[in-house]
Amino acid sequence: MNNSTKQGIADRFAFVAQKLGAQIHLRSLRDAFASIMPFMILAGFMTLINYVILEPTGFMGNLVHPDTLTTWQSIGVSIANGTLNIMTLLVAVAISYHLCVNRGYKNVIAPILVVLSTMIVVTPLTTTFSPEGSTESFIISNVIPVSYTSASGMFVGIIVGLLATDLFIKLSSNKKMQINISGNIPPAVIKSFNVLIPIMVNVIIFAVASFLLNQLLNMDFNTLISTIITKPLSYVTTSLPGFLLITSIANLFFGFGIHQAVISGALLDPFLLQNMQDNMLAYANHQEIPHIINMAFKDTFAVMGGSGNTISLLIAIFIFSRRKDYKDISKMSLTPSIFNISEPIIFGLPIVFNPMLIIPFVLAPIFSLTVAYFATAVGLINHVVVQTPWTTPPIISGFLATGGDWRASVLQLLIIIITVFIYLPFLKVDERVSAMQHK
Amino acid sequence: MKNILLVCNQGMSTSFLVEKMKQAAKEKSTEVNIWAVSDAELHENWENADIVLLGPQVGYLKSNTEKVVGNSIPVTVIDFVDYGRVNGAAVLKTALEMIEE
Repeated sequence: MNNSTKQGIADRFAFVAQKLGAQIHLRSLRDAFASIMPFMILAGFMTLINYVILEPTGFMGNLVHPDTLTTWQSIGVSIANGTLNIMTLLVAVAISYHLCVNRGYKNVIAPILVVLSTMIVVTPLTTTFSPEGSTESFIISNVIPVSYTSASGMFVGIIVGLLATDLFIKLSSNKKMQINISGNIPPAVIKSFNVLIPIMVNVIIFAVASFLLNQLLNMDFNTLISTIITKPLSYVTTSLPGFLLITSIANLFFGFGIHQAVISGALLDPFLLQNMQDNMLAYANHQEIPHIINMAFKDTFAVMGGSGNTISLLIAIFIFSRRKDYKDISKMSLTPSIFNISEPIIFGLPIVFNPMLIIPFVLAPIFSLTVAYFATAVGLINHVVVQTPWTTPPIISGFLATGGDWRASVLQLLIIIITVFIYLPFLKVDERVSAMQHK
Repeated sequence: MKNILLVCNQGMSTSFLVEKMKQAAKEKSTEVNIWAVSDAELHENWENADIVLLGPQVGYLKSNTEKVVGNSIPVTVIDFVDYGRVNGAAVLKTALEMIEE
């Protein structure tokens, strides 16, 4: 590649990244997920303690009475209630906040409260219950069903969060919506009046829309969104081909120096997180695990040493490279790489704008994810069920993310070794080309 | 006291650079305050900064960032080789020069 074509391609990537990165709703979505991540990780940590360590049928059952373990588990259960089971509400609030900040809207508390209120307005506060052995089912009222506030309702949280916040900001900046009070009245009082009408109009609109939906289509908001948005999109993005495609495009962006989160943060992560939450809940309830592909699955098998499983590239350089500068950079990149931070090697070597290294950088995750997918599908390793921090070092991350399955760590090790040989031929060509250029 | 804000996707990889920049500043006995945040936290942080340095991987946010800071302080993208090689001294030098201008 000569310099002008390089620049041309880089500009095109930068243009797309700028558009996607600056799109205010997608940005707010990404920011919101960053805000709720600690709660996901807390839930993951709780899942590990409760269902690996405190499991009555597990190894602790021999040391402590199983009933005592069950009692202790209730701490973790309450944490799950406050994280996983209300994830949709957390998402809605976080999105509202970040959309306000990104729009430069100052009075953030008003739209946040509107969103929270609206979430409950569109949620049916009843659930059906049938006692064991009975064919009759009863409708229980005055409850907030967790099936609406947990992972499965997440897109309602996203959509209500975005719509209600935007609507509120529009309404409250409309002068006609503000009450004019003359006289010597403190600004705080005027402010409270100025949000009054927008709040009322906003919540009423959602209540009426939800009512009409119910009357005309006999459907609630949640069912509508899950039928027309969540299910079809999730089918595309978290099927193996769709998932590999989006991940590869994201890594290709990284190959041109643009962080992969521009692509995956908006197009993939919401779906991966939803799958993650589904899995954590199913694991906690001893149900069949529904998804192979999820957030921690990607981090565990495709972000070892950072994007592109670059830990393998470091190993390839340590063992096989003849270039001193490559070895020096790899030494420097080792510590960040152990925590899956790959920027030093990506920009330092560099991989960016270097076609010979971009190719394996994109291929390596396709290989590892495909292997891990089928290994999970045929039962060679347990499903990934625990959200781990993405900075958890490889080998350890496999063990933790699968709820303590050492075979996942072995698989990670095998993938790392094989990936060394995916990088190796490209590294050799790269070194030969650069040696020729230096002559 | 100069305040230098580094921004990247999650404030993780730039934090390695921050450490190296602090070291370089110490060696030259320059008084600086350097910290790293994610691009989502830019809004809460830029007002305390004299310059915003973007990691090259979020270089696409430059025009957006300039809009946020309203051209009150310089915004620049860190050279990607300096960034990858965690060349704290070079990045610090560029930043201080840009603040002076």
